[in-house]
Amino acid sequence: MHGSAPDPLIARVADALRRPAPLTPDFDARVMAAVRRAPPALPRRAWAWLREPRVVAVSPLGGLAMAAGLAGLLLVGAMGRQPSAVSKQPSAVSKQPSAVSRQPSAISRQPSAVSEGAASVTFVFVAPQARSVALAGDFNDWDAARALMRREASGVWTVGVPLTPGRYRYVFVVDGRRFVADPAAPRAVGDDFGTPTSVVTIGGGGTHAAGGSL
Amino acid sequence: MRQGDSDGVLVLRVLEGDTEAFAGLVARHRERGGRFAAAMLGDAADAEEALQDAFVRAYRSLRTCREPERFGAWFLRILVNRCRTRGAVRRRSAAVFVQDDVALERAAAPPVAEPEWREEIARAVAQLDVMQREAFLLKHVEGLEYEEMTRLTGARIPALKMRVKRACDHLKVLLREVDDARVRS
Repeated sequence: MHGSAPDPLIARVADALRRPAPLTPDFDARVMAAVRRAPPALPRRAWAWLREPRVVAVSPLGGLAMAAGLAGLLLVGAMGRQPSAVSKQPSAVSKQPSAVSRQPSAISRQPSAVSEGAASVTFVFVAPQARSVALAGDFNDWDAARALMRREASGVWTVGVPLTPGRYRYVFVVDGRRFVADPAAPRAVGDDFGTPTSVVTIGGGGTHAAGGSL
Repeated sequence: MRQGDSDGVLVLRVLEGDTEAFAGLVARHRERGGRFAAAMLGDAADAEEALQDAFVRAYRSLRTCREPERFGAWFLRILVNRCRTRGAVRRRSAAVFVQDDVALERAAAPPVAEPEWREEIARAVAQLDVMQREAFLLKHVEGLEYEEMTRLTGARIPALKMRVKRACDHLKVLLREVDDARVRS
């Protein structure tokens, strides 16, 4: 076990320290009670699926269908939004969790009074092992320092960005050096950044996501 | 829990959704973890809290355990970090160590019974620099190789060897007399 025999005194000290330290009788029960309260360890297959990079190939028709579907989901969360009513009832908005934001990686749009015509779009990325995640895109001059994401429970990172209607390319920056496209969003084809990027399209009456060549 | 399940099997069962299988890992690794935490922190209540915290953290990040059959080594790494954190907090709040002269005075009074011998050891270990204490426990009590200690602590092998040597030298100074008295008795 050891490279050379330790001093006899050190050996006696080590022997004494190897004896079990008493634990309270209900230790196991307390640990398991705390474990049961903790967020569950994701099943391995689900975790592998979440982390697996995948390419989303979207045909023009498929892109339209996906955009329509995502827009429909997001419109549910933003239903009832009226520019004049939003600023008067900010609390009502925060009480409506977005179904989309619970996806492994997704974009949700919530009304806000950030600026005229802009809505806060929440970007979500799952990376439990990451030390930092930031968002870089057309909307912040690809400066990741301007959109640092906040770590939520279970390694889910989020950030809200005010966006006016338009189409934006973006990428997640993991640990300040790794660029990762959003696996849940269409890819920008023929990107000029040397790394895959994703696309989100914000429409005037709702939120759209679309893929295709820029 | 099925008694024969290996650590790897238990880890996989937990990851497949069988939370109760984690109890098997707790039962198997609490003793080693408990003695390490107790020696590192010098306080039974603190040690137990650090150990429980380490188990819960291990459960929450179990999917990152890349070698389930080596759960024990992986868990020990988590526990070492918990002890470091908890120890740092305690050092900031209050540092209460026995003076050297008290230990020496006790050492001069033979014979030394077993409980007192263990108490002297606990006092001496508590006086070690925390990094030396950690290296000493991992090497001489847990029997780890230096390569494993490097993976576990992040320190390089020469630094670890130096910490272990200084810890041994310090312990010998603190315990030589009381050990001689004990051996004579």
